[in-house]
Amino acid sequence: MAQVEGEVEELTNPLFFVDRPWVTVVWDDPVNLMSYVTYVFMSLFNYSKERATELMLLVHNEGRAVVSSGRREEMERDVARLHEFGLWATLARDDQ
Amino acid sequence: MSLAFMNSASGRRWRVMTSNSHAKGFRKSGKDSFMLDVSANEREVLINLSGQIIEILAERVDAATTDPLAEMIGITGHDSPPDDEVLMRLLPNAYADPVDASEFRRYTESDLRGKKRAHAMLMRSQLMELEDDKLLIDSRDAFAWLGAINDIRLALGVRLEVDQNSHEKLELLSPDDPMHAVFAVYSWLGWLQESLVLALMEDLEGLEP
Repeated sequence: MAQVEGEVEELTNPLFFVDRPWVTVVWDDPVNLMSYVTYVFMSLFNYSKERATELMLLVHNEGRAVVSSGRREEMERDVARLHEFGLWATLARDDQ
Repeated sequence: MSLAFMNSASGRRWRVMTSNSHAKGFRKSGKDSFMLDVSANEREVLINLSGQIIEILAERVDAATTDPLAEMIGITGHDSPPDDEVLMRLLPNAYADPVDASEFRRYTESDLRGKKRAHAMLMRSQLMELEDDKLLIDSRDAFAWLGAINDIRLALGVRLEVDQNSHEKLELLSPDDPMHAVFAVYSWLGWLQESLVLALMEDLEGLEP
């Protein structure tokens, strides 16, 4: 997964020393069930039912929510797992 | 996202359509054990649809692995997004940026196809081996089942053009419309999936002190 390129990019980027610069975003879609999305968050991220429900509602009401943050490789893994279970997810550099 | 289906009109419609008044779906059956009560008709539908998902997800993998050079240097996938709408929903882009998206796809798409096919194959083989109307699975299998049912729902959702406001329109489809039966199956799958999610959550909560 562009590992070498990713590392070079991180080393030369001023954000390299900023903690946790990448985020996984889940987008709302009209098919996935609210209960299912909550369960996927609980299972993949070990979130409590309360935290998972909160994130699910954020996706539902705002159209998107950041569900995890960390190194780029970690976020690529999270996105791949979310895709495996049919959630619509992308990763991006956290600009905030 | 879509709201709960349990006890909804959709679940009732499926039961009416199949004259299957005993539809029970999944329920918790002891620790880490889940029982599916499945009629012959429901079983047939699930076997058929999971077979279609396995087929849809196979196409590009087979085409790509016919190139021995690509295989030799470890590139087995494609980097362009699928042109089929269903496949695009099952194998979405991981990045908004098209260059990053194709780079990611190139190295991960065939793995994702393989995992999704494995979910569908597990569900399908367990149903094919079933000799009566009751199937027992553990939570590991259950997660594969959830993924497989979800992929079928996503695929049917694309065909039905489901969006945030289409539910009312789909509810009102004439029984003569071929999409009427598709929507009934789609709704029933949501109901079935939710019965498994609720059973799994009940099991998780039972583990908490």
